[in-house]
Amino acid sequence: MNNRKQIVVAVAGNPNAGKSTLINAIAGSRLHVGNWPGVTVEKKEAGFEFEGHYIRLVDLPGCYSLSPYTQEEIITRDYLVQEPPDLIVNVVDATNLERNLYLTVQLMELGIPLVMALNIYDEAESKGLRINASQMAETLGIAVIPTSAVKKSGLDDLLRTVVQVADSPEAHRPKRLNYGEDVENALEGILDHILHSHASLLDRYPVRWLLLKILEEDASVLKAANITSGSLPQQPFDHLRRAHGDDIEGLMADARYAMVAGLCREVLSRPEKRNPELTERIDRIVLNRFLGIPIFMAAMWLLFKLTFDLSAPFGEWIKDMTGGPFKRWTEVVMGTIGAPDWTVSLVNDGVIAGVGSVLVFVPVIFAMMFFITFLEGSGYMARAAFVMDRAMHAIGLHGKSFIPMLLGFGCNVAGIYATRTLENPKDKVLTALLIPLMSCGARLPVYVLFVGIFFPDNSGTVIWVLYILGMALAVLMGFLFKKTLFRGEVPMFIMELPPYRMPSFVSLCLHTWEKGKHFLIKAGTYIFAVSVLVWFLLNLPWGVENKHESYLGRAGSVIAPVFKPLGFGTWEAASSLITGVIAKEIVVGTMGEIYAPKKDDEGEKEQPTLGEDVKEIMVSFSGAGIKAVSSLFYLPIEAEKEEDTTALNEAVKGHFTPLSAFAFMAFVLLYMPCMVVVAAMRQEFGTWRWAGMAALYSTLLAWVVAFLVYQGGMLLGLGG
Amino acid sequence: MTFLDIFLMIMIVGGAFLILYRTLWKKKGCCGDTGCGGCSSKKQI
Repeated sequence: MNNRKQIVVAVAGNPNAGKSTLINAIAGSRLHVGNWPGVTVEKKEAGFEFEGHYIRLVDLPGCYSLSPYTQEEIITRDYLVQEPPDLIVNVVDATNLERNLYLTVQLMELGIPLVMALNIYDEAESKGLRINASQMAETLGIAVIPTSAVKKSGLDDLLRTVVQVADSPEAHRPKRLNYGEDVENALEGILDHILHSHASLLDRYPVRWLLLKILEEDASVLKAANITSGSLPQQPFDHLRRAHGDDIEGLMADARYAMVAGLCREVLSRPEKRNPELTERIDRIVLNRFLGIPIFMAAMWLLFKLTFDLSAPFGEWIKDMTGGPFKRWTEVVMGTIGAPDWTVSLVNDGVIAGVGSVLVFVPVIFAMMFFITFLEGSGYMARAAFVMDRAMHAIGLHGKSFIPMLLGFGCNVAGIYATRTLENPKDKVLTALLIPLMSCGARLPVYVLFVGIFFPDNSGTVIWVLYILGMALAVLMGFLFKKTLFRGEVPMFIMELPPYRMPSFVSLCLHTWEKGKHFLIKAGTYIFAVSVLVWFLLNLPWGVENKHESYLGRAGSVIAPVFKPLGFGTWEAASSLITGVIAKEIVVGTMGEIYAPKKDDEGEKEQPTLGEDVKEIMVSFSGAGIKAVSSLFYLPIEAEKEEDTTALNEAVKGHFTPLSAFAFMAFVLLYMPCMVVVAAMRQEFGTWRWAGMAALYSTLLAWVVAFLVYQGGMLLGLGG
Repeated sequence: MTFLDIFLMIMIVGGAFLILYRTLWKKKGCCGDTGCGGCSSKKQI
């Protein structure tokens, strides 16, 4: 029989307190990611054994307080109240002690045994901050363990303390904080009433927390407890209001801040004289009124440049592999098992051409996710949002809305869900409507294909222009929406600016994998499925000779005239855009299938042996690595630039001009968001209204912009 | 085209639709596999 004791540990803390790093350092690959019920804030859990105990860590969303205003706060608070863990580990950023302790005070009010991980302690010490941890532990009645999640120090002490506290919880309940005579008297008055009228509530909620929430007239608690304001005795409230003013919630916040300030005076000493820290010195430049936005634009440009220089050779390698050895091996295997001819075509011209065309861009996507993760982890992305605050105000939003939009660069769906961090419902909808204009990773394959063919020497710059185009149009549309559909005041907000940090390589890789793996999963699931269906649509009615006469060709032909003024009125482009509604990468996958060469086009060539193929794979992979490194250091590559002569590239070159290619990319950037984004908007706002509007306006906008690009370019004589 | 061919085609197309259904629709049309989370939602908090 298994006698291990299970300890459920909730991990709570401010955003950027190093909570995720701490959990990763403790749990590493044992971390299991799920979702909080009904919301999209990730729920991470990890279970592991430690000194004969089974510890289950529950990672709560980062929040600054337990007020019921943001989704993160509500989730954290509901979890702690409704499913009380055995103990809470409160991760506190030692470099920002005063701000972090506000949440600590609120966690203490819950009466659940609490252990404080005084994280980033090493950095605090190097800044000259001196924190008397033992005095703080004594004052608060909780264990305080200095840790550094990045350096993995103090973690064993922390876990040992967790076990000790869980073994004797009653001895480790946090001290009751006294908020002054007036508040304490009011709490007693409320307690008397609850004991008489709602005694059962005392079994459901932590008593002191419940009393404080009733005193603050917390609407969600009153509703859950089935208490109306009118049924409460007015004497405790009246007395407090007379003595301290009408805002009791504000009074309590002040009381907590006062407690925190007092505690900091006792336990924290700062260096008397200090030079401006590195973060401050960098911020003076990065957040400069005039330099901020140009620096942000330059950072984005550098991001794309590095992304493409590093990843392009590996993309080429995958293209050569899927179109060469892999295709040959499939043919041999299918020939050996006697598969019908049409299934060989299905696999080669459908699955390999379709999925393969998308897989080619996996290195680009991973490289971009890596650099975006780096910017996030370093603290720069928060500055980007801060810098954009002024620009966002121009469109009636604030910088906080820019964070979901930045997330939209990775995946629009992630951006849509991140709008939950916004408090104002109008802001949420408006931000969500603008997110599809942010160019997500799925559009990259389309850009990379076209810039590789038409703008090989300026690929990074052209793609950067497309991203900027998306952002500029988001500003324009935001302005229009704010003037028409979403009139109202722009709320003020305080933005957290974490200190700059060098993210650890392991953490960068883990987060890159988290973000990028979904593209691999997509390739293996619905891009695969759509590739199969597209092959059938290209080959039905059965025996059709010309793809133009296939079902897909006919559908493409019907809508192709709509794209004629945009410079790409062909059935091939139209068909690709139809299937691209499912996911934007499928535009490339479909083109790969449409332009897949016929068997007799390839001619008879001498087939290499398996050994030659394997050798070629390894040699070309090393070559790709050398090319990537050379491009990073701007070293000239000896080999001559090879002309890309795959069937897809040749066909695209024949059907587009540089101008129409740019118009096509602009159209793909802007037209109807993918099905998953539409579904996410429907789910998020509970109505098809906004999802439908996003699909409609973005498609119209795409047409207008592509029209202006193409026709404007023609007028300027760029059509050649 | 033989009966086997037709049978195979139906199985393949059915399989493709099943994959689409499972990845795009079953999870409330949400992005179960695109990392945005929220797909297993059962109740709102």
